Amino acid sequence: MYRNDTIIPFFALLFSAALFLMSYLNGQRIAVLTGHKPEELSVGQIGLMAFAAVLFIYGAIGYISAWLEGQELRPGRHFPEPSTSPLVAGIVLVLLLTAMGGFFVQLLVYSAQSGQNPTWLQGGFFAAMALIIAALLAIYKKFYQREEVVTEDEHSEVPW
Amino acid sequence: MYQWLDERLEISRLYHKFLRKAFPVHHSFFLGEITLFAFITLVLTGIFLTLNYEPSIRPTELPDGRTVPAAYASVLYIDSLPFGAVIRSIHHWSAHIMIAAAFLHMLRVLLSGAYKKPRELNWLVGLGLLGLAVVTAFTGYALPYDNYAVTATRIGYGIGASIPWVGPTVAQIMFGGEFPGSEMAIPRLYSLHVLWLPLTLIALISLHMVIMIKQKHTQPKYAERIAPGKILGVPMYPQQLVMMSIVFLLYLAVVSFIGGVFIAHPIEAFGPPTPQTPAVKPDWYFLWIYGILQVIPSEWQFRLFGALISPEFLGGVVVPGILILAAVLLPFVDTRSDKQRYLELPSQHPLRTSVTLGVLVFFIMATLAGYKIDFQQAGSPLGDNRVLWVLLLVVPAVTTLVSFVLIKNLYGAKNEASGQLEPKAGD
Repeated sequence: MYRNDTIIPFFALLFSAALFLMSYLNGQRIAVLTGHKPEELSVGQIGLMAFAAVLFIYGAIGYISAWLEGQELRPGRHFPEPSTSPLVAGIVLVLLLTAMGGFFVQLLVYSAQSGQNPTWLQGGFFAAMALIIAALLAIYKKFYQREEVVTEDEHSEVPW
Repeated sequence: MYQWLDERLEISRLYHKFLRKAFPVHHSFFLGEITLFAFITLVLTGIFLTLNYEPSIRPTELPDGRTVPAAYASVLYIDSLPFGAVIRSIHHWSAHIMIAAAFLHMLRVLLSGAYKKPRELNWLVGLGLLGLAVVTAFTGYALPYDNYAVTATRIGYGIGASIPWVGPTVAQIMFGGEFPGSEMAIPRLYSLHVLWLPLTLIALISLHMVIMIKQKHTQPKYAERIAPGKILGVPMYPQQLVMMSIVFLLYLAVVSFIGGVFIAHPIEAFGPPTPQTPAVKPDWYFLWIYGILQVIPSEWQFRLFGALISPEFLGGVVVPGILILAAVLLPFVDTRSDKQRYLELPSQHPLRTSVTLGVLVFFIMATLAGYKIDFQQAGSPLGDNRVLWVLLLVVPAVTTLVSFVLIKNLYGAKNEASGQLEPKAGD
């Protein structure tokens, strides 16, 4: 709670993995998973997985925040150092996003024509596209965005 | 274009006054944002669902010849659309994730002392939001009108109707008549679920945000060293907005993946309602209340001013009511005169931290009691009511005591030695 470090996010990721393991990923369930059939989850499993998902997102964004924003803020303007590698990574990710978008649309067309709904594949492609856009934003913030750390009076007139 | 708008609306003033608000940077603030993004996802996916859902139980014939309620048939239709099943699953998972994230967000606020003066009002608004989120999720549970959802919702109907004096009226307002059975029940639940409760949630979320912007965040403790007496942070636009976009996309990725791989409520597997009642449990956020109902003996009932005080009322309303009342009164126990500006370290507040741990263990034990029948069928000693009472009362008390002694001994001496000024990383 003292600074924006990665100790609590680390434990959040650890708990998240443990909860996922508790809820679903035991040997029996993996066998069911490989068949990719809709599987009835118990209320307990749904609860554990909901907490696991929150802790996973929280842990991941905790690490991303520490990487992008640092552990402590320092007032003033901070300029990024120009570099070629993030630009190359950005171009590769944009190409990947375009390909993923194409696959996703193909998948929807296939579902509409055949009546088959491979939900795990649809969800997976959509998730991958969202992750790629998140990665592009992270690259932009880390390597191209001019950062500013401001201070504000406690008694400002925002919003009144 | 910008100049044209600026000359008419003075939007540059808006930027300087509002969009440059300083947002302190700390990972724990993301729990509130995850809750918000879950709600936004619920609204967006909910709009798609309303376009295809029919809130009625009139008999409808499926292409395979079966006659089922129209609500059930329309959800089957949604599942057959390309990406439709995933969108419905994302909606379902987002409801669970929103409740879990709101709970963890409040836990963070509690453990870091952020509910204290001047933020008492926002603590109360947050409590209301958590309660409303649970009620909204509950009203949506019966909408697919499958065998499982109808049976599970009936448990909630029973608890609502058990409230002395006002129970039947509350049940009438919520369900539009008897549930299941009344033809008005699904249209009533649908109206509450897609209109009245989300509108109330939007109003409360807006109030929560406006109060937060006015009162500012509680800051991480290091800010006191770097900018004493000031709010230290990054401007809302563009920096915080970029971070929020990353959180939203990360949220969308996780929930789409989970929603695609694990269909949370496969109604085809459950089937339409039948006279045979399946063995069901209420959703996990009600399981602790269900657990208390399981351990309260059926003979615990009496009459008060002509009304029947039933075990359902004691376990389903009185016990949760006591916990809610304690949460409401919590910020008013602390009668400090100065404002709470910085996040407190849980280790420096052993009593609050250990009581919180005790309450958490109580929730876990009560949830465990919800599996009483399963334990009995498996021949486990946990199926014994006396064992469950010990787990419910003794284990939380022991947890509170042991954690208090441990925190006091482990951190008390350290805090005194360091003068409570400079905790190490990870504190």
